[in-house]
Amino acid sequence: MSATTRTTTTTKGLGVSLGATLSTITALRICLAFTKDVSTYLQYEQLLSSPLTSYTRLQEGLFLFNHDVDPYSGGLFYHSPLYLSIFSTIIPNSRFIASLLWTFADALGAWALVQIWRARQGVSSPTSRDSLVAVSYLLNPYTLLPSLALSTSSLENTLTLLAIMLASQRLHSPSLLALALLITLNPSSILLLAPVLLLLAHPTGPKSNLASPSTGSVLTTPLLKKTVLPLFAEFFAYIAVLVGASALTSGGWSWVGQNVFAGVLLPDLTPNTGLWWYFFTEMFDHFRPFFLMVFTMHLLIYIAPICVKFQHDPLFATLLLQGILGTFKAYPTLADPGLFIAMVSVFPEIYSHLRHPIVTTLLHIHAALLLPLFNHLWLAHGAGNANFFYASTLVFACANGAGVLDCLWAGLRVGIEKLSTGEKASEDVEEEWTVVQE
Amino acid sequence: MKSLCFTALILSLITPAWTTTPTEQFYEELSFRNLKDGRVATRFSFKTVLNGSVPRDPSTLGQEDQSQHYRLFPLAMGQILREYALTELHLTLNAGNWDYDRWGYLDEPSVGTGAELWTWMADGAPSSIDERWEGTRNALGGLFCSSLGGLNDKRTTSPESVFRPEGDLPDWGKPHRLRHASLASENVCTENLTPFIKLLPCKALSGIATLLNPHRLFDADWHGLGVHVVWNEHTGVEISLVIQAVLNPFRFSQEKTIEWSFNSLFKKQVERQCPIASASTLSVSFPAGESWSLEPQGSKSEGGVSLYDLAQAQYPFDLQAKASTDLSTSVHEDFKPPLRVQRALNGPSQAYGRLSVSFSNTGAAPVQALYLETMPWLVQFYLHTLTASANGTENGELLSHIQYTPAVPHGKPATVQLEVHVPAYTEVLLTMEVAKSFLRYTDHPPDAQRGWDLPPAVVIPFLVEQNSSSNAISLRKLPRMYTNSLLVDLATPDFSMPYNVIIFTCSLIAFLFGSVFNMLTRNFVVVSLKDDSETEKP
Repeated sequence: MSATTRTTTTTKGLGVSLGATLSTITALRICLAFTKDVSTYLQYEQLLSSPLTSYTRLQEGLFLFNHDVDPYSGGLFYHSPLYLSIFSTIIPNSRFIASLLWTFADALGAWALVQIWRARQGVSSPTSRDSLVAVSYLLNPYTLLPSLALSTSSLENTLTLLAIMLASQRLHSPSLLALALLITLNPSSILLLAPVLLLLAHPTGPKSNLASPSTGSVLTTPLLKKTVLPLFAEFFAYIAVLVGASALTSGGWSWVGQNVFAGVLLPDLTPNTGLWWYFFTEMFDHFRPFFLMVFTMHLLIYIAPICVKFQHDPLFATLLLQGILGTFKAYPTLADPGLFIAMVSVFPEIYSHLRHPIVTTLLHIHAALLLPLFNHLWLAHGAGNANFFYASTLVFACANGAGVLDCLWAGLRVGIEKLSTGEKASEDVEEEWTVVQE
Repeated sequence: MKSLCFTALILSLITPAWTTTPTEQFYEELSFRNLKDGRVATRFSFKTVLNGSVPRDPSTLGQEDQSQHYRLFPLAMGQILREYALTELHLTLNAGNWDYDRWGYLDEPSVGTGAELWTWMADGAPSSIDERWEGTRNALGGLFCSSLGGLNDKRTTSPESVFRPEGDLPDWGKPHRLRHASLASENVCTENLTPFIKLLPCKALSGIATLLNPHRLFDADWHGLGVHVVWNEHTGVEISLVIQAVLNPFRFSQEKTIEWSFNSLFKKQVERQCPIASASTLSVSFPAGESWSLEPQGSKSEGGVSLYDLAQAQYPFDLQAKASTDLSTSVHEDFKPPLRVQRALNGPSQAYGRLSVSFSNTGAAPVQALYLETMPWLVQFYLHTLTASANGTENGELLSHIQYTPAVPHGKPATVQLEVHVPAYTEVLLTMEVAKSFLRYTDHPPDAQRGWDLPPAVVIPFLVEQNSSSNAISLRKLPRMYTNSLLVDLATPDFSMPYNVIIFTCSLIAFLFGSVFNMLTRNFVVVSLKDDSETEKP
């Protein structure tokens, strides 16, 4: 289909070295982070920090923790106790250090994304695309702004990328540890567990097998029992240790209800970019538990089919599940779809087959303009009401969903590329043949 | 002879009952205070003392209670007090903001806007203190026809160091506990006054209660009802029923002189004496330096206060008061509070804001203030942003003894209790960032856009006095003050939208879910565009 062709050649000319790109952008980022009160302006922005990732709430939790008040006894603090232990011991808690830490975490995340790209290409040396991949994460407004607002979702993104990078490099234990840490910090990331385990178990690892769907299907081999189960056991051990550490830090189990179940029970209805908050604001009380169950199950239901369908390319399954998380999780920020969009840069082979890239792009532009506008009109200016912002979150969900669908279509479509075009090289043949789903 | 015998028999039957019932006294007191702005603060106080009685021991709650025979003590209140074994109870229903600057302190410190209820009760009952507290507020709500049921767990706190018992607490070997709740949005009106008057032994038929004209009382600039039950070790259980109002005589006077009478203020006069009152007094006080003429003259006059004994008065009794000099512009020094406390919730956003409390000390002596903020979950504090500044310069040392209990969503309120040191001639400003909660649509009241009333904060000023001889610093506790109540504007969802939102969101999810599974379950095939008939074949 001619509509699926898309220019991917913009990247060709970029030969800037990764080191130069990273250091330049990081330097700019540091300047930006220390320009007058950027984080102060952004810290209350609901698009950038959810109740689970807000820096202000983290500060409140740390303050209460350091003054011997159980931060989980109130309704403001939902962060993991691990944040409490890190910021009250290892990392000094100041705005200056935080700005540096978040900038560094972003740079680390971009570096990890480049490593994932290189691992997928099977090269260890710099490639011409490195800088573009790094820029797609560092200068992506969806990831940059939450990072400037010091939202902990940026740190969780970095951890996600590190876990995938380590898995791509076949470093089993560090990868599982990073993943366990991520899931302890943000339990809804449990969606990424299955594809990362498959990535570790897969014989060809992160290499692109999208074009040959029949190769290396992990799930059909006895490899599954031999490798995935021990990996899962190791992961479980790390989780147990981290949960134990959390319990020790917070001196009890009150954090379980506040942190682990926050993404299931939705205790805080503060608006965010997701679909949950207004749905459960407007929900009839007697249906609330039922729909909470439905929304949670809905999030989990994607894991198995995507992992089964893309067992030949688990890294691509990771991308899709990250897209699902960014669209459907309980407390998303812009950083979650931002990570998905940044990760798309690692899969250039699907670009020519994206289904409706222009529609998706326009939806994203539409939502990106409307979300802050309507949020401000409703809450600060008093001119609009909640429906305006709700409508823009619907558009945003459409944009994110369309992005996932585009990638899903393209990932499947690449698999029969050889059949459709590869064997028939001439231009006119493409007009005679098309690929459809039966 | 027969009838005499019969009378003796009756008497002999009655006498034991007389001796077991504790003696009761009823005191009524009416006071007027002329304020510097020309208004008149009125206070009706009806006090019944049940001599020699003790509150019910909570450990006897499971057993049958002693029978209750009262001549003067209100039975309805007695039943509530004994049913829930309350040692001390304070209920006030006020409307309007008390203006400390112009009106000063009143004899009765409970002037917070809205309903306020606090009780001290001992532990050790078969039912928990919270169950008894719930029963108490429901019973009182029923008795006074007010929505005290709204003083639920979302409003209940236990700030024991601020609301100390005003009487004695019996020693039953079990600790006494405080429950306190206030509801700023509760109004006081005629329907609360009618049950209140029913508790008085003379009702509104005689004595000073005759003056309780609801049309004038609830028309006042500030008015309130109060019920206070305390236990004194030496006397017994005392119940004080108090009505206070700040009336504006100018509004009712045709002439431009400053004068008032019972008739002009209440459209009533005292027709007859309440025959069972042990004492019935009237006092009228004036700001220092002002000269007033009173008709009739008081039986005693000292220090700007004229006293009347209404038992000796001529009935019908009306009092005429007329200022013979210009009004002075100073509050009576005895009543002047040492601090000026103002509280505000700033910020345009419905998602967050900033609470600021200013303490102004205009006096020459430093003041130590105990500040208690009770905040329902609607507004949540970022305690780490709490700062104190004196005359604009930040100074964290002004705050001490901070105690904080965070609010639980849909549950108990937050309490912040702290001590502020306010130096002489200084304004201390406390600021704190707050998060405004987002509620479910069923949590909003019917008039959601009006906003939510937040209860007033309580300040107890302590005058720091330095003993010149020993250089020792002593603190003199003053009556508690209430700040203004606040109105918080919370974000509202669209109340007509539940079905639409459920339909929109579910449709979107179903669409995306369907598309994903459609793609995942169907195979790709290559079909020829040239020959349609061929492509139809499998």
